[in-house]
Amino acid sequence: MVELYSFGRFCKNISVSGDGKIKIKVLFFGATADAAGARFIDLETPPGTPAGSMLDRLLGLYPRMSEHKLLYSVNEEYAQGTERLNDGDEMAVFTAVSGG
Amino acid sequence: MDLVELTNDPISVESVARRVVPPECGATVTLDGYVRRFTSGRETLYLVYEAYKPMALKEMRKLVEQAKRDFEVSAVGIVHRLGRLEIGETSVVISVAAPHRGAAFAACEWLIRELKRTVPIWKKEIYADGEMWVEGESAG
Repeated sequence: MVELYSFGRFCKNISVSGDGKIKIKVLFFGATADAAGARFIDLETPPGTPAGSMLDRLLGLYPRMSEHKLLYSVNEEYAQGTERLNDGDEMAVFTAVSGG
Repeated sequence: MDLVELTNDPISVESVARRVVPPECGATVTLDGYVRRFTSGRETLYLVYEAYKPMALKEMRKLVEQAKRDFEVSAVGIVHRLGRLEIGETSVVISVAAPHRGAAFAACEWLIRELKRTVPIWKKEIYADGEMWVEGESAG
């Protein structure tokens, strides 16, 4: 999985799968990692999928995440939902932060 | 001069504070945030912090830049600890150096408030009878 992801990232503008889908990686932290039972997953989606649609899909996969107030990012920047996903993008889904 | 770090090792408060001492400055205000034993009457045994490290470092750097734009301060150091922390151990140090202290106090207060709102770090409280990921207010 990791190798495939690296390849996708290297070939940023080249479609890496035969059916025209792109690969993205989704990271989880804290309570969302507990809800997903994973630290990250790799997903395929059509090019240009809005980040908000991807979040809805993730909530379908992991309904327990809906119990939390969630924030999410695309490529290490907070996302609003309208961001279009590209091959090799990295999303992260997490609860309101609690550092300090 | 500025300093932004995440570390799994104990933080030396003094070494953060004294790395942020520009020649034009006359005061450094340093916040030493540490693990509280009692929160709302409930006893914490220890804490575990985790971070989305590359994004956390980016957000910390943004806070440093904005503090230097919005306040009359010359240099900022922010170091946050990750992993398991015992009661009383330092979890975060924020040092702000300024020509005059007023701006440093104001910037330090702004920085810790923003850090707790925007920097992707989470803490898990471990109690005698359970554990819980703490969820913050909101990044709005």
